[in-house]
Amino acid sequence: MEKAQKEENTIRNESRRKFVRGLTMLVGSTAATAFLSAKSLSVAMAHSFESGSSLIADTLSDGKIFKLSQLKQLKNICAIVIPKTDTLGAAEVNTHGFIDNQLFHCYDKAEQDKTRRLLALIDEVAHQHFSLSFIALSKAQQFELLTELDLGKNRFGDKQRADFKSLKQLICFGYYTSEVGASQELRYLAVPGGYKGSIPYKDSDASWGSQGLMY
Amino acid sequence: MTENLYVNNSKEIYEAIVIGSGISGGWAAKEFCERGFKTLMIERGRVVEHKKDYIGENKAPWQQPLRTKVDNLLVKQQHQVQQQCYAFTDATKHFFGNDQDLPYTTKKGTNFTWIRANQLGGKSLLWHRQSYRWGEYDFKANKSDGYGNDWPIRYKDIDKWYSHVEKHAGISGSLDNLENLPDGEFLPPFEMNSPEKVLQAKFAELYPDRPLIMGRTAHLTKPTQLHLSQGRVQCQARNECQAGCSFGGYFSTQSSTLPAAAATNNLHIAPNSVVHSLIYDEGSNRIKGVRVIDNNDLSEREYFAKVIFVCASTIGSTQILMNSTSKKFPNGIANSSGVLGHYLMDHNYNAGASGEIEGYQDEIDKGRRPTGLIMPNFYYKPDTKRGFLRGYALAGSAYREGWQSLQHQDGLGVDFKNKLKQAGKWRFGLYAQGEMLPRFENQMRLHPTLKDKWGIPQIEFDCRFSDNETNMMLDAAEQAKKMLKAAGLANVSSSVSHGPPGLAIHELGTARMGRDPKTSILNAYNQSHDIPNLFVTDGASFCSSAVQNPSLTFMALTVRAVDYCVKELKEKRI
Repeated sequence: MEKAQKEENTIRNESRRKFVRGLTMLVGSTAATAFLSAKSLSVAMAHSFESGSSLIADTLSDGKIFKLSQLKQLKNICAIVIPKTDTLGAAEVNTHGFIDNQLFHCYDKAEQDKTRRLLALIDEVAHQHFSLSFIALSKAQQFELLTELDLGKNRFGDKQRADFKSLKQLICFGYYTSEVGASQELRYLAVPGGYKGSIPYKDSDASWGSQGLMY
Repeated sequence: MTENLYVNNSKEIYEAIVIGSGISGGWAAKEFCERGFKTLMIERGRVVEHKKDYIGENKAPWQQPLRTKVDNLLVKQQHQVQQQCYAFTDATKHFFGNDQDLPYTTKKGTNFTWIRANQLGGKSLLWHRQSYRWGEYDFKANKSDGYGNDWPIRYKDIDKWYSHVEKHAGISGSLDNLENLPDGEFLPPFEMNSPEKVLQAKFAELYPDRPLIMGRTAHLTKPTQLHLSQGRVQCQARNECQAGCSFGGYFSTQSSTLPAAAATNNLHIAPNSVVHSLIYDEGSNRIKGVRVIDNNDLSEREYFAKVIFVCASTIGSTQILMNSTSKKFPNGIANSSGVLGHYLMDHNYNAGASGEIEGYQDEIDKGRRPTGLIMPNFYYKPDTKRGFLRGYALAGSAYREGWQSLQHQDGLGVDFKNKLKQAGKWRFGLYAQGEMLPRFENQMRLHPTLKDKWGIPQIEFDCRFSDNETNMMLDAAEQAKKMLKAAGLANVSSSVSHGPPGLAIHELGTARMGRDPKTSILNAYNQSHDIPNLFVTDGASFCSSAVQNPSLTFMALTVRAVDYCVKELKEKRI
């Protein structure tokens, strides 16, 4: 990408605005301007927005690990595990595409195969029990089947249960590190401005979605 | 600032050469420059400019292609060793070395993790920023139990130099008035959260000799005019430090010592200059300069100076000395004692315990505090009945569980999502940081045949934790568990692991100081016993490891050595 274009994208970006706003509140507008006019900061921030989303498969064609049919199935599973509520759920933020991409880049073949086998198993059980593929089941049937898998009950054993926990972990990671998950479902503070040991918290409050460098 | 800060070829005879630009090198350069010395700082890696080159800074996880993780292929090809560091993420990976270019070996049956940060600023960009003075007992430890040689200095020799570096670097902490962890020139400490305050009070009651205090850390909780004049502002509690900090919220070469050095117009920097060896003149018994290999095109060049400060990191500095051979010093320069490469140490992080704290459900903390709490070493007084020598500190913090902990629960759907949305129970842990004894057999040496791409012999490590360190970790796990239970935590569990040395990234020793030139490399001022214009002021010079994180002591020893060196030069003794 050309540098000028990159700069333009940067300026449009909400997170950068938040960062600059935080900076302004911190050092006062005059000082912030001086700080920023050193150009260095804006250059540093210009690198921030090569979103990985264009690399990620949605449910239009085969992914890097999964075939189209598997991606669709995974999308259904994402929707059951973390559904849409007041905020979007895991399926709406393409967590299935994220998992395909993440398994390809950050996991070994054993883990990839394990996930594919798990999807096959889920479909197989759906066929046995309901004579339908998993995605053709009603939401209630999908929920019931995955709940049994999550608890290792009936048709599922401990091994399958553990494999599903791994997949759930990938779904959670994908969702809570997405923009929606981290900053709408949870609360995201790019620049906290300092540390406070105690602020009031009610059960209806969201936890922090911002966790520093490591997730 | 000097018109051309960066140099490549130069015939100039500088007044001082500083090899390395990390914590020690940055301080050496600043101190020389501020005393009016024309100084050349030599850095083996690339230039990293403050702010501009912090390319991973302030990126939310969704703005990173792999959501903070690093591609398998890249890890496999370039970072198998480096990825073991806790701070290795997508936002920081460019500050870690490429293992392909940095091979080393370990003696059969031993293991050592060598983390590399070869760029301007070195590991000062990546460090954990914990900053503690050593106490009187630490400098006496070797003498009292006979392991290692006696430190040639005592606390009183370094006290004012700690103050000197603390004021400039900016160290936050509380005044705790402890016998063996002296207070310093502190900025206000970070706040404790409520469970931490309560635990602090409980421990004070249950274990009066084991205080729990806020970690002392090189962050600007309340910058002084001096810090603001360095272009630094208050720490924003992002806790994303190792990506680089454009606020200058934590001390690094880039945020603190480099701007001060550059402001004098006395500083030059030779980047991409891998020091091969020191150029020794036997007639005058002086180092004349350094021979470097270009990091990129592998061409050779030389730089010259009246005095040489080696601040290339513990292993790096000793590697340079070992590779500088001559008729008079066939086994490494300044090594008439034969101890060069020996007494390698690290810290031991192989034990801990944690548990749950009931209550406090109506509050949470805000911001990401870049430090935890610490229970300083409570075994600093020698005691032969303990079953091991020396001691350990325990560190930890209280936090509310988030989705990472809660995701393992059973459940799906709206209920599951709502559970993960909320903050969970509070947890608190205590994790050990143990002292490692200085032992002759723990060593690094040059490999007889293998070389790196710059033609420099590779390092072979032969280093392991002894029974003393293992026994210490068993005790740490037990004590931590006992204390957490006594303080009322629930579901307390402890663990002991067996990780090899290196990964604490507190490598120390191998060119130790000492009173006796027959058993040490450096004198009480980090000056070579053998060659008056040669100084080594980083971790290589340490006689013991103590328990404290060593960086603040690197700084203090370095500025003290520069002060001494300048006086000696004026007296024409160098």
